[in-house]
Amino acid sequence: MRMLRSVGSWFMPVVPESRVAILRTVLYLFVIIDIHLFVRDPIPLSRHPELYQPLLIERLFQLPPPSVPLTITLYLILMTGCLVAASNVMPRLAGAVVAAAFTWWTAIGMSYGKVDHDHLALVVALWVLPTVGVIAERWRSTERSRQAGWALKCIQISVIFTYFLSALTKIRSGGWSIASWPESSILLWAIVRRPHGLGQFLLPYPELLHLMQWMSFTAELTSVVVLWLRGRALLAAAVFWMGFHVFTLAILYIHFAPTAICWLAFAPLERLGPWLRRVKASRGQRAGRRSPGHAMPVLRDQAIDGGG
Amino acid sequence: MRGISKTSYAWRIAATVLGIGLLLNGSLRMSDDAWPVGPLSQYAFSPAKDTTIVITRVEGLLADGRRIDLPLRVETAGISRAEIESRIPQITADPSLLRSVADGWSSRHRGVPRLVRVWLVQDQTRLVDGRVGPTRLVELTTWELPS
Repeated sequence: MRMLRSVGSWFMPVVPESRVAILRTVLYLFVIIDIHLFVRDPIPLSRHPELYQPLLIERLFQLPPPSVPLTITLYLILMTGCLVAASNVMPRLAGAVVAAAFTWWTAIGMSYGKVDHDHLALVVALWVLPTVGVIAERWRSTERSRQAGWALKCIQISVIFTYFLSALTKIRSGGWSIASWPESSILLWAIVRRPHGLGQFLLPYPELLHLMQWMSFTAELTSVVVLWLRGRALLAAAVFWMGFHVFTLAILYIHFAPTAICWLAFAPLERLGPWLRRVKASRGQRAGRRSPGHAMPVLRDQAIDGGG
Repeated sequence: MRGISKTSYAWRIAATVLGIGLLLNGSLRMSDDAWPVGPLSQYAFSPAKDTTIVITRVEGLLADGRRIDLPLRVETAGISRAEIESRIPQITADPSLLRSVADGWSSRHRGVPRLVRVWLVQDQTRLVDGRVGPTRLVELTTWELPS
């Protein structure tokens, strides 16, 4: 019984709800960027019904084939929904609408032959963030809850699973062999196909590419450990994986921005509000010193500290 | 601290178990069709040391006689390379499917002479013992636009 309870509290730790409120703002605004920069093709693709091959999820829910009016409607729903949800207004309704619309939008983008895997954490995040419900005082909330902890834990698991499951898929595709992927010519293949990045300078060094494959494969396979890290060790892991994404961007011109942004689910975002208020206060204080006639800067600081 | 009811607690645990189960099942047994719970298969295969790397392109003949590359990107042709690559068998069976690229490109390049013919081509680079070898151009199919 005690073990069950501790497993339960691992999946549902008590965390500040302001963390979820801030993450909502960041992620819903990110979705707006995403539909313009990353999954930006559903509207042009919907002009080619002859190339549409619905995914399992679209067949299961019997979703109508994409047309231009449909994708434009989805676009408008996403834009409106994201702006409302980013301000933490009607979080359940707006959040659920964005989750469903973005899942459909992204599924359409993946229904013309190419399926990407950088959206797992973001899609999960959009489905779990509304479950926390209304957060009174939003960014300034001082409430803590298991509901918030569960939502963040789900996003954290999805981020890490993006790496871990890709390692499992590599083992599976190599005929259940650990060494087949790291010893293959995959990076060479990727660089030849995407000759835009710095990777072309590495083409003459296949041994170096194999070493890089071993390093990334080992990091992916052991990534699950990150779920148990705290403090500086967690920060070090986050810096490592951000470095990994910058590296793949530089050599292959492949970004994993939707996964990278979800790393914020690990961050103590609740410190952001008080920190911003402190910065503002100290600026106010300096301005106060410069103009001797300023009204009681000390009192104002106290009020701000008390509110933080 | 906000409380949590037994029901709330229970459905969250159930959803977590179900989600992790679906993801593991997707990676160990399913195909891309199961997105978002399919395998994370981007760059997850293992090309051999003597594999042939192909880059699929579409070239177009303009009315003024120039033959140019029609870059397969959403901004330039309304469709990206991966989408065309995954449809190669259908396109070679029915070359008029290249209309998607021709129309997409033409609508974004209004001031240019009209397209007369398009080709689906591949740059095929052979690896020799894990190093980059020679590249050759192969024409897969062609389609003449109705005038």
